[in-house]
Amino acid sequence: MNGIDCAKVRDCLPDFESGRIENHESVTIESHLLSCEDCQSELELIQMLRDGSPAVPVLLADQIENAVSSSRRPWNRSRWGPSVWGLPAAAVVVALVVGVGVSRDRSEVIQDVVFDFGVDADPGELWLSDDSFLAGDLWIENLSNETLMELLVELEGEGAAR
Amino acid sequence: MRDSLRGSREISDDKLVEQACFGDGRAFGILVRRHHASAYRVALSITRQEDIAQDVVQDAFIKAFRALGGFRGDSSFRTWMMTVTANEARATLRKRGRWSESSIEDVGTLESRAPDPAEQAVERKESERARKMLDTLPEKQRLAISARIDEGLSFREIGTLIGSSEGAARVNYFHGIRRLRELME
Ligand SMILES: [Zn+2]
Repeated sequence: MNGIDCAKVRDCLPDFESGRIENHESVTIESHLLSCEDCQSELELIQMLRDGSPAVPVLLADQIENAVSSSRRPWNRSRWGPSVWGLPAAAVVVALVVGVGVSRDRSEVIQDVVFDFGVDADPGELWLSDDSFLAGDLWIENLSNETLMELLVELEGEGAAR
Repeated sequence: MRDSLRGSREISDDKLVEQACFGDGRAFGILVRRHHASAYRVALSITRQEDIAQDVVQDAFIKAFRALGGFRGDSSFRTWMMTVTANEARATLRKRGRWSESSIEDVGTLESRAPDPAEQAVERKESERARKMLDTLPEKQRLAISARIDEGLSFREIGTLIGSSEGAARVNYFHGIRRLRELME
């Protein structure tokens, strides 16, 4: 049928319809469509589907950006910035630095938090890299015992919220 | 934001991913703006509810940002992001006890909103009807159709998205299209 079969035409119809196709292929498909009602009808369906393509909420991109940045905001002192990287690193370091000074219960909470993140994380992910860990380490060193205790309480909250 | 986007068109996704891996929030912001629409349509295709789809896309981007180091570039960032979103959408529905692979039967579980006259008038349009019919197909079929028609993905990319081979992606697409043509008659 006009040098190209229906299967090949239908493979390309979405690209043809949206203009994502080379000129010469476009000409071949057009001439096929003139004599093939079936492919023509499929093209009409594709056009209908594209016309009805759902509108994307106008503010969605802003919402996503805000959500991503607020997911990292409270802990963004390290080179990597985001809390999602700082938190597990900080938790590990807190456990190491103040583990002796806090009750067994609290240490267990911290371990839980660390473990929780460990489950989510792929070992190859950057946020568990040595660099991220070091950044957390340096930051923790300058904290007073009181601040560390506050941090423990906060981590406990984070852990419970997950 | 507009200023930060100026000139961003020339920067490839790969370059932006690399910068975002080093904590560059602006680079990730550009990726969000480029690909949130595709991700949203994937989420909507699976959840079939706008409010849930918005939450899904948001969570998917947060997770993608965390897991960016795991992106190996085997597929394009867009396909990867769409796949992350699809997984997030399924997980969300599963958590809410709504996920199901069945087809027309589970349309009845969709939350129905009170129809108003204006909305009904819009729905009478054939394109709206086609999209409504699309929503009645099994998940893999409607996802394959949406990804092929709305996003222009190849069958190989669709295979990645729906977790199947290129051939199976093609079968899902054409089976869905055939079913839609029957439903639209
Ligand atoms: Zn034909």
